[in-house]
Amino acid sequence: MTTPDQELDARNLNCPLPILRAKKALNGMEAGRVLKIMATDPGSVKDFAAFANQTGNELLESSEVGSEFHFLLRKS
Amino acid sequence: MDLEHYQRIALYGFLVAMAFGAIANRTHFCTMGAISDWVNMGSRTRFRVWLLAMGIAIIGTQSLFLSGRVDLGGTIYHGTAFSWFGYLLGGFLFGIGMTIGSGCGQRTLVRVGSGNLKSLVLLLVLAVTAYMTLRGLLALLRLEITGPTTIDLAERGFASQGFGELIGTATGVSPTVIGIVLTVLVGGGILFYALWDRRVRTEFDNLLAGIGVGLVIVAAWYITGVLGYDDFEPTPVEGVSFINPVGNTLTFLMTYTGSTISFGVVLVLGTIAGSFLYSLLTGTLRTEVFNDRSDLVNHLYGGVLMGFGGVLSLGCTIGQGITGMSTLAPGSVLALLSIIAGAVVTMKMQYFLYDGKGWWHAVKCTAADLIPSK
Repeated sequence: MTTPDQELDARNLNCPLPILRAKKALNGMEAGRVLKIMATDPGSVKDFAAFANQTGNELLESSEVGSEFHFLLRKS
Repeated sequence: MDLEHYQRIALYGFLVAMAFGAIANRTHFCTMGAISDWVNMGSRTRFRVWLLAMGIAIIGTQSLFLSGRVDLGGTIYHGTAFSWFGYLLGGFLFGIGMTIGSGCGQRTLVRVGSGNLKSLVLLLVLAVTAYMTLRGLLALLRLEITGPTTIDLAERGFASQGFGELIGTATGVSPTVIGIVLTVLVGGGILFYALWDRRVRTEFDNLLAGIGVGLVIVAAWYITGVLGYDDFEPTPVEGVSFINPVGNTLTFLMTYTGSTISFGVVLVLGTIAGSFLYSLLTGTLRTEVFNDRSDLVNHLYGGVLMGFGGVLSLGCTIGQGITGMSTLAPGSVLALLSIIAGAVVTMKMQYFLYDGKGWWHAVKCTAADLIPSK
């Protein structure tokens, strides 16, 4: 299991805010570092898959933990 | 059971709307999401899917119109009162509203069907605001805005605001010929652009969303314009639209015993029902409630802005964005571009507000980001 270098609490945020904040957080990180995002919006699952696909930041993990959705993104 | 003419039309509308709701639920068809993917990720795939629906709607609707089977002349999109400022301001407010409210009118209906109670609250606020803007207190404000800025096209010798009629009358060429040329160029061009993306062409959900929604728009024109045509009891020719109808649905439900069901109302109810059935059958029904104070506040603002803006601009992302565009009317182009502009500006503002340096910082950064430096 990869240990995240930074965490982003995107709980209680609706589309498009989780993506927007993840983008901002990644902007301030060095390549290779891992960002963990915790969200509650069910739409974020599809959004983060598309985000990784499009931006080249690797989606290491996408999981449902209780009523939350957790993502691990490695900055490209 | 024998159905009256208007009830048969309503039933067809309900079934088509159910297909819309189910398709939109399955494929995450969402205009705000399409703009967000473009602005925030640099991906235009979802936007192209949306354009695929528009291209099909333009070609299908214009075929019905230019062959004389559906008369678009009496629709709100081809009206001769050209309220340019209403389209611009209304569209912009709608674009802000759908971004902070997490989706437009159509998306809200789909979410209500999948068990989202936040969207239900937004929908009620949207319905009240839309009706107030149409007939109530806010109608006074709407008329103050549109009154002084409306251009009367009939006075200038135009029979409608359709591009075919405008260009045809101005140049002396037959409006039908202009219409055919525009349909091929604009409709064909949009289809070509949409399908250029391999992921749009090859992924089932993308094709289902684009083709499905496009055909729903055309089917609605066919139902009200061709099947609804009756010498004694003609149905008003009406396309798929959601803001005005959401307001009418609320009054219909409250005054049921004294009301007749209209096409717009069945579209609203059918879209919710289709989404609900899809969620039920796929096990994705999920109750969602407000998380915190700002979540509620954002949804309330979203409902008010979309209700007022949507009526002011005569439509939403579907009503103007696809249905209005399918009639090839300049008002729809203005409304659609303003909706997109409102959404883009709001997304940029949200991005820079997250810096925590206040509104002025966000406004400056948004302006710097959107205005080319050269």
